[in-house]
Amino acid sequence: MAMTWSDLAKKQPAAMRILMNGIRNNRLAHAYLFSGGRGVGKREAASHLARAFFCRARDGIEPCGACPDCKRIDSGNHPDVVVIQPDGRSIKKPQIASLIKAFSYKGVETSKKLFIIEQADLLTSQAANSLLKFIEEPQGNTLCILITEHSQKILATILSRCQVLHFKPLSKELLVHHLLENGVSRVMAKTVSAVTSDAEEATTLSKDEWFANSRSIVLHFMEDLLTRPNHAIITMYEKCALHFNDSDKMKMMLRLMLIWFRDVMALHIGQNDNVVYVDRMESLTEAAEKMTAEQAACALSLLMEAQRRLQSNGNPLSVLEYVSLKLQEGAGVYA
Amino acid sequence: MADAIHSMAVEEGLAMKVIVAKDKLVACTNDVMRAVSSKTTISILTGIKITATSGGLTLTGSDSDITIQAFIPTEENGIENIQIIKPGSIVLQARYFADIVKKLPDDTVTIEVDSRLMTRIQSGHSEFNLNGMDADEYPRLPVLREENTLSIRKDLLKQIIRQTVYAVSTSENRPILTGANWVFENKTLKCVATDSHRLARRTVTMDVEENHTITNLVIPGKSLNELGKILDDRDQDVVEMIATDNQVLFKTDHIQFYSRLLEGKYPETEGLIPNDVKTEVVLKTKDLLQAIDRASLLARDERNNLVKLKTVDQSSLEILSQSPEVGRVYENVPANKISGEELRISFSAKYMMDALNRIDSEELIIQFTGAMKPFILKPVDDPDLLMLILPVRTN
Amino acid sequence: MAESKPARIIFHIDMNSFYASVEMRHHPEWRGKPLAIAGRPEERRGIIVTASYEARKKGVKATMPVWQAKRLCPELIVQTPNFDLYKKASQQLFQLLRTYTPYVEKVSIDEGYMDVTTIKAGMHPVRLAQTIQTRVKTELELPSSIGIAPNKFLAKMASDMKKPMGITILRKRDLATKLWPLAIQEMHGVGKKTAEKLKALKIYTIGDLAHFDKKRLESMLGVYGGKLHERANGIDDRPVDPEAEAVHKSISQSTTLPEDIASVNEAKDVFLTLSQRLSKKLKDHNVCAYQIAITIRYHDWQTVNRSKTMKSAVYLSQDIFEMAMFLFNENWDGRPVRLLGISANALEDAAFRTKQLDLFTYAEDAKDEPLLETIQQLEEKFGTSVVQKGMRGFASQKEHKGRSSNDKSTF
Repeated sequence: MAMTWSDLAKKQPAAMRILMNGIRNNRLAHAYLFSGGRGVGKREAASHLARAFFCRARDGIEPCGACPDCKRIDSGNHPDVVVIQPDGRSIKKPQIASLIKAFSYKGVETSKKLFIIEQADLLTSQAANSLLKFIEEPQGNTLCILITEHSQKILATILSRCQVLHFKPLSKELLVHHLLENGVSRVMAKTVSAVTSDAEEATTLSKDEWFANSRSIVLHFMEDLLTRPNHAIITMYEKCALHFNDSDKMKMMLRLMLIWFRDVMALHIGQNDNVVYVDRMESLTEAAEKMTAEQAACALSLLMEAQRRLQSNGNPLSVLEYVSLKLQEGAGVYA
Repeated sequence: MADAIHSMAVEEGLAMKVIVAKDKLVACTNDVMRAVSSKTTISILTGIKITATSGGLTLTGSDSDITIQAFIPTEENGIENIQIIKPGSIVLQARYFADIVKKLPDDTVTIEVDSRLMTRIQSGHSEFNLNGMDADEYPRLPVLREENTLSIRKDLLKQIIRQTVYAVSTSENRPILTGANWVFENKTLKCVATDSHRLARRTVTMDVEENHTITNLVIPGKSLNELGKILDDRDQDVVEMIATDNQVLFKTDHIQFYSRLLEGKYPETEGLIPNDVKTEVVLKTKDLLQAIDRASLLARDERNNLVKLKTVDQSSLEILSQSPEVGRVYENVPANKISGEELRISFSAKYMMDALNRIDSEELIIQFTGAMKPFILKPVDDPDLLMLILPVRTN
Repeated sequence: MAESKPARIIFHIDMNSFYASVEMRHHPEWRGKPLAIAGRPEERRGIIVTASYEARKKGVKATMPVWQAKRLCPELIVQTPNFDLYKKASQQLFQLLRTYTPYVEKVSIDEGYMDVTTIKAGMHPVRLAQTIQTRVKTELELPSSIGIAPNKFLAKMASDMKKPMGITILRKRDLATKLWPLAIQEMHGVGKKTAEKLKALKIYTIGDLAHFDKKRLESMLGVYGGKLHERANGIDDRPVDPEAEAVHKSISQSTTLPEDIASVNEAKDVFLTLSQRLSKKLKDHNVCAYQIAITIRYHDWQTVNRSKTMKSAVYLSQDIFEMAMFLFNENWDGRPVRLLGISANALEDAAFRTKQLDLFTYAEDAKDEPLLETIQQLEEKFGTSVVQKGMRGFASQKEHKGRSSNDKSTF
């Protein structure tokens, strides 16, 4: 299914409107800066703009998606499209040299040339300075697209010469929708979108085996705390401590636990639609019956405190022990 | 009849099939391999494009800056080179393809591509199967209008390249100077190259009045050097030249050499070539070349490879070079004639040798216009060549 | 002048066919065989740069074409110069000399002066010279000749008198017998052109020069004529200057910032000041630089040094500044900076500074041409230190240490 401007506009209506108008009126800027978080559609938009720029069978503003130009933009074989990606931690001098050389030649097939610079914030200032000249006085029919997640790190002189298009973070709803479209299960889509609002990270997590295990271990632990609190401590040592065996992993555990208590809160205030762990509705309902909204709030603040302890280099296992014992005590209250 | 039905069935999934003489295929592959670069970022360009049409087989190699096409006609001087069984095209990994065809055992090679781009290369008892790439992915060459052809003698073209391209810039500071400027007007083709420290200009008178496509081109020096290398004695004596907005094509009877052009306007240089000659020296090219060559021996460890030249009287030049660590060398070079003011000037031995090595004439005129101004080298018997060198300021 | 001070004892150490000796040390199998160093030995027209004593005995000389040398000495081993090797050997040599006294002046890769006046009593100068010569021979496997005299000029002349492995004393009282009979072109500091001028005055030996009228010589040859006259009479008060080479290595300026900076504009201000200071220092030392380097020290003390080498030497603060900013832009990673520095390396005497002219800008330089022509004429007439081009900094062609033999007035 070929992508269309309206597909892109669903995610980024404002930015796409500007590009669509530019193509429609044949008034594209020489240089664009696509700025926004990961996975919000910057690269898709750049590819689509490239297709629209080169396609010779364009229908209005919509590239055909099937001609040699469109197909070669997708496969990375278009000779007049140069894509620069960072080599390691920065965009290095030889890369810029080759880019500048490409700028200095006429196009291979037509007078049109297009350059995409990904992670443009990683340009050294020297590299950025040499780019300036080309953005400012482009020769031939040249279009330059800079892509960045950190527009504040882009040199002011570059910023002022680009038309900056802001790509907004995807709403939770759109993110779930986006994941579902990519074949992720509803349960997993809900979980990852509760963990991150970054579409690309979400996609990666949803396919990550470790993350899937994390989810079931945490839910198992929460259900143990609910139904057999004494056994929960064994689960903690046997499963949780082994699986979440460093600080970063423990952070994930705490996040997943937070979601549990947020779900409990949601049930208390009747926002059943906001529940994340939809596959555990029964257990959650049981938990909501056993603990008051106030107790759930206490559990949430306990977890947030634990997150802070972890942040200040607390030992992951002792943070886990502390949280578990507190929750187990609490569980005694509502047992 | 039964055979025909059988073969149709077999060829149903066939995308291309040719049988070609191995020696022709090897030669053409070698030609187009010169354009293929392993450093390309465009994956399709790691391949050679092979296109079979009823007229013959075309091979294409490219690094996107230059593209070389070689053509094997189906029939040549009554000898059949190729049997085209099914026209089509495919792109094959250049490195493997070139190595394979070179080593095939038999005199003929069968290349057969199926609809999934799987390519079978068969010769004698040997058979290779390569994964092909879609020929649609390959860059498309500009469509050229044959009526805008400019013909030029091959030896002349090679001489133009040899006598000018050495002076192009190798630095990307001013990209336009990495190319040579070819201007065609008033029946004259003028080729200029400069890296801003020296300049070479060669003019050639042509028979045609004008040409619409070749008016003002900037051709990358790298491309011209490559062209100079590939033009060999196998070819006919005339090369045809055609240009489009983006590319220029040099065409011989079996090779087409395309180069991308440089973007931008070439700087005006005519006005910078001085004409107020203060000192003029006429001498033997070889004498000066050898003296500078020897003098540069001591200078070569030094910055700029500097030599100093001084007119002694009406009949000789003195060349000096010194290196504090090694020593110094004096050379006395006899001149046929020295006129004008006394002169002392310093310059890069390398620039001087680069120029002298490309002057075929036995005698040479050097026109000096001042110690801090360019000086001009001209062969005595060839008004069409001018070389210019900027001196080195020593204090 | 020199007479009023206590007598000095100066050594001039001159390495014998240095390149060839180093090569032999490196290739022991060549020892005792005729060896020559030549550019492009693969080509017959290459010329000999230096030859071993074994080769010299067969008539092989410097600047002789290889083919001619081969004819005189068919078994000649010909080797291309390997400057890195020679530079390393040279460093070892001067390191060894400096173990005796800090007053060692490196003149070139293979010769230097030592002022041994203050070396503890008890060691006779000849014994000291013998010790040094033996150590250089055994420890570095390099032959040398040493001249012992009360000043640099005489020491230099003395070391030339006996080669290889010679030790020669040249005292004031020896002048008439040892120095004056020498042909004028043998005199250190007299080049081909000066020799011709002196011969025109009927000065054929160093003795002739010593007895010539000094005033007349000065009017004919300028200040330099007077100097030559003094030297021929054994007078030379130039000190042995250990700094002579050191100052020509590198000059730098740096500053620790009162507060860490984190923007290009702040760095610009710092580099501007540093460039001005550095430029002034270069002018004071009468040198220019073929390489500019910058130092960036980050707030965490991580330090980065980056340099750029140029075809034309710089000394103007604007040029230094541009270079420094280029390097900074290219290498700064955006973190807070605590210290910035610029250093000028690959220094060259300003008189030897060169600039490759550019087709698109040569007209600017050509404007200086008439003025420089006048300077040149004046210098030829009155000596090199008379005229300075003042502000522009194309400064005095002061006699470059160790290169006094170049009669630069020729060019």
